[in-house]
Amino acid sequence: MDYQLSKLHKLLKESMERFCREEIAPAAAFLDTCSAQEAADTMKANFKRLSREGYTGLLLDDDLIGQAVAGEELAKACPATFLSALSSLTALGRMVKRYGSPKQQEEVLSELAGGEKIGAMACNEGDAGADMGGMTTTADYKGGRWILNGNKDIVTNAPFADFFLVLAWTKRDAALEAGTTFFLIDRHMEGLSVGDTLETMGLCGARAAGISLENCSLPEDAVLGGAPGVGWAQMQSAMDDIRIAVSVLCLGIGMACMEDSTRHAKAKKAFGKPIGLFEGVGAKLATMFTFNDIGRMMVYRAAWGREQFDPESPILSSCAKLYTTEAVEQIASMAMQVHGGHGYLKGETVERLYRDARFAALAYGTSEMQRAFIAKDTLDNFKAA
Amino acid sequence: MDFSISDEQRMFRDTVYRFARQEVAPLCEEADLKSEFSFDIWRKFGEMGLLGLPLPEKYGGSGANIVTCCLAGEAVAHAGVDGGHTLAWGAHTYLCAANIMQFGTEAQKEKYLPKLATGETIGCMGLTEPGCGSDAAALITTAVCKGDKYILNGSKTFITNAPLAEVFVVFATLDKEKKHKGITAFIVEKGYPGISTGKPMHKLGCRASLTSEVFFEDCEVPVENCLGGEGNGWFIALSGVEWDRSTLVSPFIGGHLYMMEKCAEYANQRRAFNRPIRDFQSIQNRIADMKVFLEAARLAVYRVAASKDNGVGLNPLEAAVNKMYLGDRGFQLASDAVDLFGGYGYIHEYPVERIMRDTKLGQLGGGTSDIMRMIVSRFMMM
Repeated sequence: MDYQLSKLHKLLKESMERFCREEIAPAAAFLDTCSAQEAADTMKANFKRLSREGYTGLLLDDDLIGQAVAGEELAKACPATFLSALSSLTALGRMVKRYGSPKQQEEVLSELAGGEKIGAMACNEGDAGADMGGMTTTADYKGGRWILNGNKDIVTNAPFADFFLVLAWTKRDAALEAGTTFFLIDRHMEGLSVGDTLETMGLCGARAAGISLENCSLPEDAVLGGAPGVGWAQMQSAMDDIRIAVSVLCLGIGMACMEDSTRHAKAKKAFGKPIGLFEGVGAKLATMFTFNDIGRMMVYRAAWGREQFDPESPILSSCAKLYTTEAVEQIASMAMQVHGGHGYLKGETVERLYRDARFAALAYGTSEMQRAFIAKDTLDNFKAA
Repeated sequence: MDFSISDEQRMFRDTVYRFARQEVAPLCEEADLKSEFSFDIWRKFGEMGLLGLPLPEKYGGSGANIVTCCLAGEAVAHAGVDGGHTLAWGAHTYLCAANIMQFGTEAQKEKYLPKLATGETIGCMGLTEPGCGSDAAALITTAVCKGDKYILNGSKTFITNAPLAEVFVVFATLDKEKKHKGITAFIVEKGYPGISTGKPMHKLGCRASLTSEVFFEDCEVPVENCLGGEGNGWFIALSGVEWDRSTLVSPFIGGHLYMMEKCAEYANQRRAFNRPIRDFQSIQNRIADMKVFLEAARLAVYRVAASKDNGVGLNPLEAAVNKMYLGDRGFQLASDAVDLFGGYGYIHEYPVERIMRDTKLGQLGGGTSDIMRMIVSRFMMM
């Protein structure tokens, strides 16, 4: 039993912290308010920087604890950039790496790792979120080609993504487990169009849009991994990675909130002493610390479990996601409270973080879905009274 | 980074669990109901080697490391053993015997540890006083050196095991002016002139452990029973608190696991509106929160334990986080468990009522949650 990070991971943390502080953090506020075009340009530049630092490659690698260590620093510096990288690399990239044909891997992976191209994963629809059974996008096999029709909702990175992984029904009358398939589609494929950029409450730098597929005709080798019908299983495996990554996003936001609040609580004086020395503020700082600290252990535990092929790892990643996403909302709210009226002003870091924090508990599996998943597992384990 | 335990540790944990489940758990409900300490349970703990777990083998202990001690605490509580008996064990082994092990002279260790290791004598520790708890350094029990004796005057309260104990590790001040630098620890025997204990208190939870006041009236303690040297008492007290925040809280994890199992079993078999109540999302939500807490609390406790074992040293922030999280969240979920059982949850025959009462101590004993938050925030403000 050893809870300490390895020497290499400690070094990784240090170098990533420095890199993010110097090269990523300065644009974080700009990404929050800039135009869609400016956001696309800035994010593309960030991907190149992340590639030079080795982060994009790391996300495609098997070092899951390293991903969490480095990812926390990125999310602390710029949560939106973290989310964009998650969508491109953790979602699309790792799926292609794990399941893609050699040709697909060759086409996509080196350019993703190089930060030259960006990916996006498109599953959700207007009536398909927690319950993917409501999905209506279909892929019909005709004359050796797959013809896709349907609309995807709120696809992070869509305004500037170069590749999409799109989930569609390949057998409309089958269950999700047997009837769905992922397709790897180039942005310029005829029949695919990207909708208007959506205005989001937070994480504004990671721009999202809907995409629509209208008789989008794809060759057979656009199927992820070659064989149709296994999309659901592939997605479950991806979700294990993604749940950990979303937890890491929360750690980063939580740490940014905590550090900003601590700085403020030391500098700001009231009634003759720093406000952090009052118990009410001090208890908030301590609670932020506790949430981040426990959350980080849960993330490392889940990541380690996945590295060790622990059969409980999907449950552990779900526990981590549930814990960290709900914790970060409270952390952001406490951070706002510590800052008082100034925290409520546009342009203040905590104001942005407060909006950013709200995302995680509703995305990539809501808290309600995590609880249902965890509870079923526990209840099934103790069926025999 | 490695979150696993060794095969040997797993076997040990399972053995302790089976022992506690078969031999101990059946005796606990009545002991709790009557607020009676069970010497039968105590003897069994001793025979199993639990009471001397961390003590060196030469003094009759097992020389177990701290992770192993925590596994034992978890296993016993997981088997359904009440918080009273696990608390009595903790106060005896970690607050009394372990302090003598760490800070005692060879003569003190030889004299006291072998009997503490088997449980033949019961130990306790006295720090808290009627006038000071969180602010322990404000204690006013005095010790004055006269010839070959220290003379102690004052009183202690909320002392777990005191009504049964023969060995007391007691903190008193040699010079109140020196504040915490005057605090000194002593090993006091029940038979010394001038020491007496009050009646066992009626407690909300952990009822089978006996708790009382301890009075010192010109109590004569031989000079060789000063523990760890004059003026070092505060350091010893803090070190005891470190044990408190690792090994002593480990039964909370086991108790929570036991509670979660009982809740899951009940939710599977209890029916309402023509279906098992497990089908209702409000029931599922509570089960899920218990599972999340179990995983998180385990990590928090074993991190503190592993850090001490691996020589990383105890991080006071981690210890405080651990104590606060276990205490506060654990109590909320124990209350949820009562809700899940409905009216039955409010009845003594069902296990969750006792667990809710026992769990409340986690927010109070060994440093309140408020103090934990103060410790963490003061570190952050440095």
